[in-house]
Amino acid sequence: MDYPPGKAPLAILIMALASGLGLLLLPAGKSSGNLEVWTFADSHYRAYQKVVPHFEAAHPGVKVDLQFVHGRAVTSRLRAAFASDLHVPDMLETEISSAGTFFLGPLEDIGFVDLTAELHKPRPDGPPWYERIVKSRFAPYTSRRVVNGVATDHIFGLPHDVHPVLLAYRRDIFQAHGIDAEKLTTWDEFLRVGRGLMKELNASSPPGQIDHYLIGLSDTDSGDLEVLLFQRDGGYFHPDGTISLDDDVAVKTMCWYVPLVVGPERVGYPVGWNWEVTEKFLQTDFLLCFLMPDWFSGFFQKQAKSGAGKLALMPLPAVKPGGRRTSTRGGTMLGFTKKSKQFELAWQLGLELYFDVDSRAEQFQETNILPPLRAAWKHPALAQPNPYWSNQPLGQLYAAQADDTPPQYTSPYIQLAKEKMSEAICDCVDYYGKKGANGFEAFVRKRLKQSADEIRRQMKLNPYH
Amino acid sequence: MSGTVQGEQSARFSLWRQQQRLAPYIFVSPFLILFCTFGIYPIVKSFYLAFNTTNGPRSVVFTGLDNFRFLLHDPDFYTAVYNTATFAFFSVFLQLPLSLALALLLNARWLKGRNTFRFVFFSPYLVGQVFVGVLASVVFVPRFGLVPRFLHATLAANLDIKLLGNPALVMPALVGTALWMYVGLNCIYFLAALQAVDRELYEAAAVDGANAWQQFVHITAPAIKPVALVVVIMSTLGSFQLFELPFVMMNGPGPNKAGLTIVMYLYQRGFDIGNLGYASTIGWTLALMVLLISLAQVRISGAMRGNA
Repeated sequence: MDYPPGKAPLAILIMALASGLGLLLLPAGKSSGNLEVWTFADSHYRAYQKVVPHFEAAHPGVKVDLQFVHGRAVTSRLRAAFASDLHVPDMLETEISSAGTFFLGPLEDIGFVDLTAELHKPRPDGPPWYERIVKSRFAPYTSRRVVNGVATDHIFGLPHDVHPVLLAYRRDIFQAHGIDAEKLTTWDEFLRVGRGLMKELNASSPPGQIDHYLIGLSDTDSGDLEVLLFQRDGGYFHPDGTISLDDDVAVKTMCWYVPLVVGPERVGYPVGWNWEVTEKFLQTDFLLCFLMPDWFSGFFQKQAKSGAGKLALMPLPAVKPGGRRTSTRGGTMLGFTKKSKQFELAWQLGLELYFDVDSRAEQFQETNILPPLRAAWKHPALAQPNPYWSNQPLGQLYAAQADDTPPQYTSPYIQLAKEKMSEAICDCVDYYGKKGANGFEAFVRKRLKQSADEIRRQMKLNPYH
Repeated sequence: MSGTVQGEQSARFSLWRQQQRLAPYIFVSPFLILFCTFGIYPIVKSFYLAFNTTNGPRSVVFTGLDNFRFLLHDPDFYTAVYNTATFAFFSVFLQLPLSLALALLLNARWLKGRNTFRFVFFSPYLVGQVFVGVLASVVFVPRFGLVPRFLHATLAANLDIKLLGNPALVMPALVGTALWMYVGLNCIYFLAALQAVDRELYEAAAVDGANAWQQFVHITAPAIKPVALVVVIMSTLGSFQLFELPFVMMNGPGPNKAGLTIVMYLYQRGFDIGNLGYASTIGWTLALMVLLISLAQVRISGAMRGNA
């Protein structure tokens, strides 16, 4: 065959036409089921895989397409899909620190179904769902709107968890030094005794070198500080979405926190996310205590094998005698997209995934995550002794504190607030490291105000605010 | 009968001529369609968004130059520009001499196992920024990481040195990691240029009494100048697009934004906070900066060519 431009262009043309035709004829990437669910957590994915067959059996003709999607991908894909009116799943899980960012804009534009009425609806088998769940857990998934001076809360997600925080400590080391850690009920007591223990352990280290720290605390990231801030009823935002990270509680917490991670009285060392390093921390007795939300205790069990039988849990020391003995860190919500044409079915699956007592107990055994549904806390699985945690009944320990878990109020600017808080920690640590307590409180106040003002400035950029 | 045959032949000829006329358009159409959909449309849309504020997924309001005004007073943006420029500066001015030195070494005839060395130095580039970032985040771990252990053993540095946790040390750690990754790549460019230099020139120069330095200045340097310019332009532009390496190494901008780059800032504002309008403004400003830098470099390279 003669083709004037030559054989090579002819071959390219044939290949282009063939591949184009192939693409056109290939079936579009359709979901393998008729109810699509995204989750970003591997442990959730594995737990839901066990629940889905029961749901499908109870709903003939329904096929659930459960997908494991990376957390960042959930956020970016969802944001793009909501903005462009593209395909979204029927329901999905999103992480607490990005959930709030989806609540920006007019109510009608938010891509998630408002669950407020559904959660408050009386149920034939008892009180509404809203009454059966730890109330503070709705805070991160709630957007408060004020119309004509009347504030109304709109809940856009089912809480997957409570994530109470306990204190994990090296029971073997504390006991070897004659210390009953559980008797240390306030932070003052804990730090006084803990500093003594640190001194004893470091006595044999070369001069100027510290080989044992009391507790895992970051000097650059807001993650640990926020746990202690929540414990004091502080936070990043007020319930109405106004900024609270420069209020008195935040200033006092920062002033208390920074000397723990820098300076002569330092007791903290950052933990990070490298499990090989955490293993080393445990093998070398480098860190003695950890702030331990329930989900993190599950990671510890699986990843830091060296802690088995050595670590134990106790309630967080209180700020004042008789005060709150817990805090919270992290969280996940299940949202239902407005675009889904089968909300009822999705809602049924959501209830089964989140509020079925037996399946949540099974999930607890897999992940250590305490369900937010109070009824599930009585399940025998939560009372089982856990060999990793010195045979303590892990579920009961977390459940005992769950109702006292503080709320984490959110805003579409929550990510920015966390960034700004982390930056403030760095500057405060730098100041304290160089100048000590001299003028420190004034500096902290000024620095936190600077962070808060920057967020306010970003908020003002939005003409709707 | 013959009329029918002639008619058929004429129709086939006309079809043939028509397809010859259309063929170029058919060839370029796949590219054009894809380019318009994934290139032109996003560019136009982002230009539109740069002058608007997005409020949630659907509401967009025209705010004129507000985003640009905000940008001019945005300390985070200046931090990102400063970090990116610092990285670009050190990347170029450390990478170039190191790559060239390595290339000269690998070009030496007395060196045995040259091909192995070339592969070894080039291989970090093959694995990509994400893998290098993961690796770096492990070797920089205080107390237990390879680098702190090495620094402690050789320079008696503090074992707890936080190369990715101390704002002052983040940039050196980033530049060092980028050096490890890109020196081998740039070395290959220089090596190709060096191998193109006529050996007889060196022999003639040696006969004339030129020492090694004089040979480098008067023969090697002029010969590799065009390649050096390409490497400078590529390194600078690549540095201004830096994102994955610090993002993976520090899981974000690092302590006190010490690793925040312009592209990372764009990503944060667009996808973490959801302000696509402001993210577009950052994108267009970056495009303008890159354009100006490229123009300056093209101008300088033109002047240098003129001088050569």
